[in-house]
Amino acid sequence: MIKVENLWVELNGNLILEDISLEIKKGEIVAIVGPNGGGKTTLIRTILGFIKPTKGRVLIDGKEPKDYIKSGKVGYLPQKSSYERDFPVSALDVVMFGLVEVKISKKEKEKKALEVLRYVGMESFKDKPFGKLSGGQQQRVMIARAIISEPELLILDEPSTGVDVVAQESFYEFIKKLNQEKGITVLMITHDIGAVGSFVHKVVGLNKKLHYFGDFKDFLQKSNVDKLYGSEVKLLIHSPECFTCQYFNVEVKRH
Amino acid sequence: MSLSDFFTIPFLVNALVGGVLIAILLSVLSLFVFVKKWSFINIGISHAAFGGLAIGFFLGVNPTITGSLFAILVGVLIGYISKKGQVHEDISIGILLSFSMALGVVVMSFSNNYNSDLFAFLFGNILTITQQDIIMILVFSVISLGFLLYNLERIMYCCFDEELAYISKVNTKFFYYSLITLIAIATVLSIKLVGSVLSSAMIILPAAVSSQLFWKYKSIILASIFISVVVVFTGIVVSFQYNLPSGSTIVIIYSLIFFIVILVKRLFIR
Repeated sequence: MIKVENLWVELNGNLILEDISLEIKKGEIVAIVGPNGGGKTTLIRTILGFIKPTKGRVLIDGKEPKDYIKSGKVGYLPQKSSYERDFPVSALDVVMFGLVEVKISKKEKEKKALEVLRYVGMESFKDKPFGKLSGGQQQRVMIARAIISEPELLILDEPSTGVDVVAQESFYEFIKKLNQEKGITVLMITHDIGAVGSFVHKVVGLNKKLHYFGDFKDFLQKSNVDKLYGSEVKLLIHSPECFTCQYFNVEVKRH
Repeated sequence: MSLSDFFTIPFLVNALVGGVLIAILLSVLSLFVFVKKWSFINIGISHAAFGGLAIGFFLGVNPTITGSLFAILVGVLIGYISKKGQVHEDISIGILLSFSMALGVVVMSFSNNYNSDLFAFLFGNILTITQQDIIMILVFSVISLGFLLYNLERIMYCCFDEELAYISKVNTKFFYYSLITLIAIATVLSIKLVGSVLSSAMIILPAAVSSQLFWKYKSIILASIFISVVVVFTGIVVSFQYNLPSGSTIVIIYSLIFFIVILVKRLFIR
């Protein structure tokens, strides 16, 4: 579905991405991890066509990103913890924005918007000012907006920003459900490697260069993590069976 | 003089009709200036319009046309610079604003009626609104309002988040520059009403007041139109009755309403 070939990106004279090549298949959930400033957001913004590669190319379903976006099959959740508090729109307005170029009646749009709001558990907030919702609630509304057009590809930039731990758990459950029920390909940036480990199909370890691209299990090898973050780090792993977590260094211990 | 007598004086009727029409258009545009936080861009555009008007006046070309072209050029330039992010928006507006004003004053200094012309451009003279002006304002208002209302959701989506709107297939560049163009032309058309110095107030105040009373954008538009029409109408009548400058009277009434609404909200609504 997404093919990144020998991608180099330079911004204001700084090399941000160096020779990245990877391929993401349809229906996969892929997590992009790596230290801050490692080029994660630049990579997804290049995939979305917001940034022009210095060298190399990105193809989505064999098309240039700009052409693929014109098909309306992309859902995108940018990295943003909160919007302007006084922006004069309701949660329902925001979700309906996602259908603004879809040629169906206003009534049908509203019906669809209510459906997706129900799907993300936010139906009762439909008439509330969007800016006054909490970070987690805004994030759910934004995800409803991203999926209302029934995208084939969902790109999420740190979706758990501003979301508390409990909401994070249910948010990731929701992403998993979306992938399983609708077959949506999901590409997401996260710092929460432990929390997403139980359901992602692949991990992209990025720090200017592609340090790792493969299964989550193999990614957890100490050498991979150390190589990516540049020093010895401890990861907090959430087991899918319980809410308690444990520290690990070399291997994951579950209880 | 009773209110009904006003409608028997042709230039006052022109002033009222022209004033109300432009007030409606500025009220709708006001929402976008408010949500995009474009107050300063608008001030830049209105000062640029002054430079353009002066050039047109000096060259003997219709000042509305030169003023509009100049305002659009400066508006698009500010938009382009702020989008590219090479120079900070505040700096580019500050420089273009001062340049346009300086250019306008220098050009106006060649005119024989330097002081009176300069004063009219800076502070407006609603009583000089002609029937030709009204037709121009009417045609432009109908086209602009049709465009804005038909694309209301698209433009609001662009204002909310331009990148998300782009992903949803909205032609964001087109709406961005269309909005700047409409604001520029509407600003020029409002100069006879309130002058270039005060015209930005007429586009900033409507949504600033209405957003204190309502939080949904459609309600803000309706309230802005209602309040603006009442204020412009009252301002013209009061200024004529007491021989005051109409533009300044309108802006003072509008600003007072803003402060009263803020005060009442602070005192009674927590």
